Parts: sequence; C-alpha cells; structure tokens
Amino acid sequence: MRSGHAVEDYRQLVALSDNPITWFWVGLLILVLLALPGLVPTYTLVMASAVGIAAISAIGLNLLTGTTGLISLGQAGFLSMGAYTCALLMADYGWPAEAAMPAAAFFTGLLSLVIGVPSLRLKGLYLAITTLAFSLIVTHFILYSENLTHGPFGVRIANPTMLGMDIASDVGFYYFVGILLLLVSLFALNVMRTRIGRAWIAIRDHDIAAQVMGINLVHYKLLAFFVSSSIVGLAGALTTLRLRFINVEVFDLLISIEALAMIIVGGLGSVAGSILGAAFIVLLPEGVRILLDFLTPEMKTAYSNYVYEVRGLLIGAIVIIILRVESGGLVGIWAKTKRYWVNWPLPI
Amino acid sequence: MDFLLNITASGLVLGAMYGLIAMAFSVIYKTTGVVNFAQGEMMMLTAYIAWSLGVTLALPFWLMLPLVCVIAALIGALVEYAIIRPMMGEPPFAIIMATMGLAIAIRSLTILIWGVNAEGFDASVKGGLFEIGPVVLFSEQIFALAVFLLVSVGIWAFMRFTRIGTAMRATALDESAALLMGINVRRIHSLAWAISSIIAALAGVCFALAFSRSPSMWFLGLQSFPASILGGLDAPLGSALGGLLVGVSANLSEGYIGQGLKEISGFVIIILVLMIRPYGLFGRRDLERV
Repeated sequence: MRSGHAVEDYRQLVALSDNPITWFWVGLLILVLLALPGLVPTYTLVMASAVGIAAISAIGLNLLTGTTGLISLGQAGFLSMGAYTCALLMADYGWPAEAAMPAAAFFTGLLSLVIGVPSLRLKGLYLAITTLAFSLIVTHFILYSENLTHGPFGVRIANPTMLGMDIASDVGFYYFVGILLLLVSLFALNVMRTRIGRAWIAIRDHDIAAQVMGINLVHYKLLAFFVSSSIVGLAGALTTLRLRFINVEVFDLLISIEALAMIIVGGLGSVAGSILGAAFIVLLPEGVRILLDFLTPEMKTAYSNYVYEVRGLLIGAIVIIILRVESGGLVGIWAKTKRYWVNWPLPI
Repeated sequence: MDFLLNITASGLVLGAMYGLIAMAFSVIYKTTGVVNFAQGEMMMLTAYIAWSLGVTLALPFWLMLPLVCVIAALIGALVEYAIIRPMMGEPPFAIIMATMGLAIAIRSLTILIWGVNAEGFDASVKGGLFEIGPVVLFSEQIFALAVFLLVSVGIWAFMRFTRIGTAMRATALDESAALLMGINVRRIHSLAWAISSIIAALAGVCFALAFSRSPSMWFLGLQSFPASILGGLDAPLGSALGGLLVGVSANLSEGYIGQGLKEISGFVIIILVLMIRPYGLFGRRDLERV
C-alpha cells in the first residue's frame, strides 16, 4: 500500500490508476475470472453471468443517478425496452443477435430522450416520479399492444450465437457477459475522466451553478440519459439472451428499486461500486441460504418458501443501514479502511 | 347516461381513497419536506392489522377503527424517530431511498406474517345497498366517501384553527424561524408522521372493506402519487381534490377509451402535469438560490 503519494501533472491526476499494484490486482482478477469455468461448477457460472448482467445495468444507472445526479426509478422500463427490442427483432424479424443487441441498446437510448426532455425542468423527487410513471407506461404498452409485443404471452427466442461463439451454453455466455462487462466498465471509467464526465459531476453537485459555469444543461442531461439508457438497454438485451424467454413479469417494479439499492450499497458514482453492489444484491439470497445451511439445516425448507420475502426484508434493511451509517457504500468502507491503515497509528 | 353516472360515482369512491393517501403524502411533505415512498406499504400494514383485529379477533367495528388509528400513529411516529430523524440534513435522495428500503422491508414483512393470500374483510358497515337516482353504491363505498369528507374537513380545521396546526404551518414555512419562536420542531415532525399514518390507515381500511386485504395493496400508494402531484405535494386539501380528479379520470378512461388504462391514466396525468406545472394546481412554486 502506498502512502504519501504526490501527483505531478494533470495527466497523472486523471489517469485511471497510475499505481502498478492496482493494475497487478486487476490483471490477476481478470485471469482468475478467465480460468473460472475450469474450476467451479456450472451453477456458479450461471450466477456469475447474472451478476455480470446486473453489474452492467447498475453501471448504466450509476452514470445517470450517481454521476449526473438524476434519480431514476425507471430502470425496469429501460431494461424491458432493451429486452423486448432485442427479443422481438430476433423472434419476429429474424435479426441475428449481433445486430439485435446494438439495435436494442440504441433504441432504448433514443426512447430515453422522451423522458429526458421533462428532466430538463424537473429534478430530485419529481424526476424520480416521472421515471416511475414512464416505466409503468412502458409495461402497460407491452401488455396491451399484443400485435407488436405478444402482450402477456411473452417472447421466446431461439438459441443465439454471437460472432461464431455459442452463447447458448453456460460457459460461452459467461465469457460473453464478462467481455461486455469489461468493455462497459472501461467505457464508464474513461467517460468519467473526460469533459463530458466532469460536466455530469458538476450537474450533480449543483445544476444551476453548473449552468452558470457554461455547461449546457440540455445537452449534457440528454446525453446522460442516452448513454445510461443505452447501457441499461444492453443489459436488457443480455437478459433476453440469457433467459431466452421474457415477459413483463421479468421486469417488475422491484427491479428498479433493487437497481438503486445496488448502486447505493456499492457506492454512488463509482464503477467498482456498481459491480460490487450488483454482486452483493444478486448473491444475497445465496449467501443467506449457505449461512442457514451452516447454522440450522431445519430452517432450509422454511427459507426456500419465503426466499423472496427474506430477500426483500434484507435488501430494505441493508439499504437503510448503508444510508444511515456509511453513505459511500462498500467502496466508501474500503477507502476508509485503507486510509485507516495508511495512517495507523494516527487517527484518520 | 346511467353508465356515465355510475362509473363517475365509483370513480369518486376510488378517488376518495387516492385522495386520502395523497393527503397523507402531502401532510408529511409539507411539514418535513420528505416524500414517504413507504406510504402505500404503511397503509397496507395497518390495513392488515385492522383485518386481524376486526376479523380474527372479531372486535366490533367502532372499537377496531380507533384502535387501528392509535396503532397507525405509533407506527408513523416510530418510523420518523428511528429512520427519518437521524437522517435529517442529508440529501433528499438519501431520505427517499431510505423510505424505499423501508417500503420493500414492510412489503416482505407483511407477506411473511400474513401469507400471500387475499382475504375478504367483513365488518358491520358492509352489506347495505344505496340507490341515489340511477347510481347504486354499496354501504362500504359510502363509508369511504364519508371518511374522505370528514378527514378533509378535519385536516383543514386542524391546520387552520388549532394551536398545533398553526405551529405545523409555521414549521412548513420556515423551520429555523419556527424553532426560534419556541416551536418544538421535532415533535411537530413526528406528529406529522403520526397524522399521515392515521390518514393512510383509514384509506387502507376503506380499501380493504371495498375490495379485500391483499399483498398488492401497496400499489395503491404509488397510484396516489399522481393525485398528490396534481393537487400540489405541499397542499393537503389540493391533494385530496387531486385524488377525486384522478379517480374519476381513471374510471372514465377505462370505461370509454381502453382496457387497462385505469392503472396508468394517473401516471399519464403526472407526466403532463409535471411538464406544464411541476408544482401542481395548488402548490407553491419553489425558488432556488445558488
């Protein structure tokens, strides 16, 4: 661990990390993830893919909510838009997955501009409610436009392939999600150190002040909506490819709240936080199950009957605790711990 | 014509419930500046408690209702004390998210305790049938309208004439000035939460009587948002009126335009209102300083 580290020029300041140790650990993590299919059972890979998709969607939301400060409760709407665009293009129009996925991301981004326009006048709470309303309207549209969306029956797609990769198999899909997660993370990390990212952060900290400083609110807020929803739409398309059958039940309102819980638990405005938070929330029921197996095997059946409720209870409690105790989330806790040991035995 | 009158009447009944919950939202928002996203869930919880008291324990209705109000007030004050008060001064986003965390926790807790099945709610106010011209209403629907009118008038009179109501309005206007005038702002805050929970509990009981008590009742909370936004989040009586408007328009759009519009017509209204007049019909426009 480094202490007393000085930054000498601007390039160093905005670098992703100028610390070789960090790069070493990241490289090691990627190597372990690459080798994972040989080491663990398939079930773990399936869970890992689920975490990956959730992480991509959380990174998207974090760009909008954590970085730009526009609170969105419409995550379920954006996800279902991406998922349905991808599924319908593949099932009804015979598009290959290679074309349907980017189209889904792009289309979700475009539609998000519809909700982005009211966001120019609204903020905070009102924006949250507008996005919530938008999400409900999307669900309603999907349910009642049977000719276009198959309505309540859902959409089924054939086993997809991607650039010659067999992504219908668990291992293939795991690698595919892994690659996309890496690309999306790099994109988000890099966009945050450009002019655009700094403008978003300025808008989050105080939008009127940012406008006075010469940041074009219309431009940057709409851009934030477009970029964030495209990423979320991509996650939606991935959900389609993973489940191969989707209906509106997959994207109920709880998804929106869970997505916010992910970025709060992980850390607002942080890419690493989005991934950590997504892993935490997705793996929470598994963790509880393992813990219960360990403590009281007889609780097992009771737990499997009420797994959703226990999960909801825990997510609610954890969100409240994180907000009360450590608003930086897991990333904040990590940073504090690190600082504590660097300064030890002096107080922080 | 009969059809129009009948769906308008049942829209008014639905709107009365929306209006009650919208009032609950705005009482909290006006006094404390917090929006309680767990309002629907707190309503569901108290409705379930009312059901347990009224059906399982078979308490008479006139005894059950005040008891539920007391319990609701305690729950509201407890939530304020345990979750909201320690978070005062944090960004609104944090507080909104805390209430959302509370919302999913309560939703899960309710199912854990009472199970997922919907149950009817029998009480002595049920069973009657009233014919007013061509309009036919059940007695529990009349009850809901009566509760709505009483609560609206009660809130208005309370805010207007009582000492505590005046203190509440003062707190809403300027918290630090109210504090300097010797108003116990903390107590006012927990009182606002208690009152709002009572109003929501009454709405919950009305809803459970008219339909059933079921684990999807919390959605009524979200559906009441449009009412509050339409009337103005900081205007309790405006919210009540907004509730009636949203209820009637929900029923009319379902009856005349298309199936399924009932659930979302309110949200279409929200988007329109927020684009044209974000502070609602009766709300106060905010000024912001940099």
